[in-house]
Amino acid sequence: MSRSYKLVVSGPVGAGKTTFIQSLSEIPVVETDELATEDIGKEKTTVALDYGLLTLDGVPIHLFGTPGQERFDFMWDVLVEGALGLVLLVAGDQPRDFPKARHILEYLTSRHPVPFVVGVTRQDLPRVWTPEDVADYFGLPQEQVVGMNATSPTSATLALIRILELVTGERWQGVW
Amino acid sequence: MSRQEELQGILRELRQAVPEITGVMVASTDGLSLATDLPEAEAARAAAMAATALGLGKRIAQTSALGGLEEVVVRGQAGYLVVYAAGDKGVLAVTAPMGANLGLIHLEARSAAAHIAQTLA
Ligand SMILES: Nc1nc2c(ncn2[C@@H]2O[C@H](COP(=O)(O)OP(=O)(O)OP(=O)(O)O)[C@@H](O)[C@H]2O)c(=O)[nH]1
Ligand SMILES: [Mg+2]
Repeated sequence: MSRSYKLVVSGPVGAGKTTFIQSLSEIPVVETDELATEDIGKEKTTVALDYGLLTLDGVPIHLFGTPGQERFDFMWDVLVEGALGLVLLVAGDQPRDFPKARHILEYLTSRHPVPFVVGVTRQDLPRVWTPEDVADYFGLPQEQVVGMNATSPTSATLALIRILELVTGERWQGVW
Repeated sequence: MSRQEELQGILRELRQAVPEITGVMVASTDGLSLATDLPEAEAARAAAMAATALGLGKRIAQTSALGGLEEVVVRGQAGYLVVYAAGDKGVLAVTAPMGANLGLIHLEARSAAAHIAQTLA
């Protein structure tokens, strides 16, 4: 059987999950964003999932993004089924959401113990938490936390390589 | 009349028109309960699930070139849950037991959904 990997992208509202998958996908992303009723600092929010696909080093990578709002937590379970790794995103300028991120991480990894990395988005903006700060906060080794600009395909790819290396234990070139 | 009262009125009429219906809910398309006869504890979860079903149904309809989504029917061995689009902002969810007249439910619920769409516009 030819290999392919399923990865889940999760994290609190506005962490950049949908953005990350849009930056990486080679197909039009299946997104399910709807107008947000509450003020969440952006117009839309994911209600079901994001799905994107890319081929990296010749291997198909399937990316499934979760909604961030806690009321959709039943989708976390649905989406993590069969995933080989998890990318947990947090917005580097939203430390108030870190406890929520920790909750999501514990929820997912306690049910599905898969390798994960924490991605700290918005590194292109001033006054953000660095990956080093966030590693301290979560009590994780530095290698497991990666900073990125989720709007940049190059930056998103570097984060993706980090989780793929953790999952496979091999080096990845990152050739699209 | 407040929006809340208006929505409650529409839901009441729907239940009167089709007594077989066992539960009704109006939610926002991002999954917040706006009006329902469900207990509060269940309402939050039900609203989120209705919005997920509708949101996913929309993308499936789009991808399969089915046009704008009108409803999603979930049929279990014991009954139905139907989620209707109510304009751009709303979702109407209706539950009924197996053996219920689905045709009649559709007829009444689609008209209620149109009414809800006006109320939320
Ligand atoms: N400058 C900058 N903006 C970002 C970055 N990541 C995300 N954003 C922006 O932040 C917002 C977050 O967007 P989403 O991708 O919708 O967030 P999400 O995690 O999918 O949120 P929910 O689906 O609501 O849980 C968007 O407006 C993005 O353009 C980043 O690394 N840098
Ligand atoms: Mg999203």
